[in-house]
Amino acid sequence: MVRLVVASPIAVATRGEREIDIEYEGTLAGLFDAVAERYGREFRQRIFDGDGGLKRFVNVYVNGEDARYLRGLETPVGRDATVDLLPAIAGG
Amino acid sequence: MGYVRSLRCRECGAEYAPLRITVCERCFGPLEVAYELEAVREAFTREALAHRPRTLWRYRELLPVVEDGARVDMQPGYTPLRRAGNLEEVLGLREVWVKDDTVNPTYSFKDRPVAVAVAKAREWDLEAVGCASTGNLAGATAAAAAKAKLPCYVFVPASLEETKLLLPRLYGATVVPVDGTYDDANRVALLAADRRGWGFVNINLRPYYAEGSKTLLFETWEQLGFDLPDVLVTPLGSGLLLTSVDKAIRELKDIGQVDGRATRIVGTQPEGCAPIVRGFESKDGRPVPVKRPDTIAESLAIGDPASGHEAIQIMRRTGGFADAPSDAEIVEAQKLLARTEGVFAEPAGGVTLAALRRALADGRIDPSERVVLLVTGNGLKAMHVMHSEFPKIPPVAPSPAAVDAFLGGIPHG
Repeated sequence: MVRLVVASPIAVATRGEREIDIEYEGTLAGLFDAVAERYGREFRQRIFDGDGGLKRFVNVYVNGEDARYLRGLETPVGRDATVDLLPAIAGG
Repeated sequence: MGYVRSLRCRECGAEYAPLRITVCERCFGPLEVAYELEAVREAFTREALAHRPRTLWRYRELLPVVEDGARVDMQPGYTPLRRAGNLEEVLGLREVWVKDDTVNPTYSFKDRPVAVAVAKAREWDLEAVGCASTGNLAGATAAAAAKAKLPCYVFVPASLEETKLLLPRLYGATVVPVDGTYDDANRVALLAADRRGWGFVNINLRPYYAEGSKTLLFETWEQLGFDLPDVLVTPLGSGLLLTSVDKAIRELKDIGQVDGRATRIVGTQPEGCAPIVRGFESKDGRPVPVKRPDTIAESLAIGDPASGHEAIQIMRRTGGFADAPSDAEIVEAQKLLARTEGVFAEPAGGVTLAALRRALADGRIDPSERVVLLVTGNGLKAMHVMHSEFPKIPPVAPSPAAVDAFLGGIPHG
């Protein structure tokens, strides 16, 4: 099971659910398609911008690694991966 | 609500009531506090300021704390603005000032934003506070939490310098030493903040937290005789301090306290972690994330600065620039500042002088400009940097002859 963890501000896109288990193996892009199937178009609209990329203030981590340092939306997601979807807040 | 009007998204402009919201609900962009400027204009006068306490709370109309009783009495701020006459002579500059935040309650400027964030946590009756930190913020949060009698949880990289790991524990906080970079510590802190009702000062209290840093600029303005410098040099970690300085200047303009004169805002970070500087130099103006920061200036080792893009826009808009001195240049600057002005800055403070020297050499700063350097942290918290610069001196025998020999034959009597 892929465990998708969604921080509160972003969980508006998943009906408030912050920990989502989903049977999936593939890429981040494919994972988000599967999530969008479950939560509807609202999910895509909240997370993605007009060009099909992730919104600027949304960060994705696969097993703790920022997807931008990996392969972006083509980053492989294994069957038991943890994926975090967090707002971009860093530093003080 | 005091003088607070709303929280406003810096990205899309959406406005919200000033409650406990972390990011914009529409675009997840950063929120900032907006004030009722007409009301502030009437109350925030030079005459009123003259009678106020010598702490950062003197600027209360432009700070988002509503309940006086929620403030924690650490008396941060109102630090010296030192005229650096010796540095002027050495560098061939007309006028340079050092805003010396090494003297705050926990020896860094973080006591300012923490004062505001912890007061808000008390207003909202939160059960604990915390932060993700590269060191200074952990100490500041822990001390303020101790005084406020609140539990405190700080998330730091486990590889942090010893003093900075120890101080929050000394103040009674629980330290979580994360096996990774600051960005790893920040990520898990964000997840922890989400699960618990705690106030993480630089995460879920961030819009309020940021307001405290404005007081560095308000004090500078007041201490310069209600005037602003031509150039202000600030260190860049997440970029939040630079955005707060700019916000303070804009607010002073909006209430008619300064004229339209532009202060050039210069941001600087070490070469070994320069996502914002690289972004400034790039066409699209977006920070270039650094996965593994490599610098002695640990305070600034933030590889993925969320306020980086804004900081770049501000530096461009104000005619400033971004620069990334090397670690060697930073250490030389720390030594120069200590030798000329008696101020011991940690590397994150020394980087501003390093950038000034480089900018004088290549003409980006003119010797006739009035310059203010923000020295944001005390060097005593990063002593390991200096140990290799000052190897141990073999002891001198306790006799006048040995002392004469050591001092090179200077006669006595």
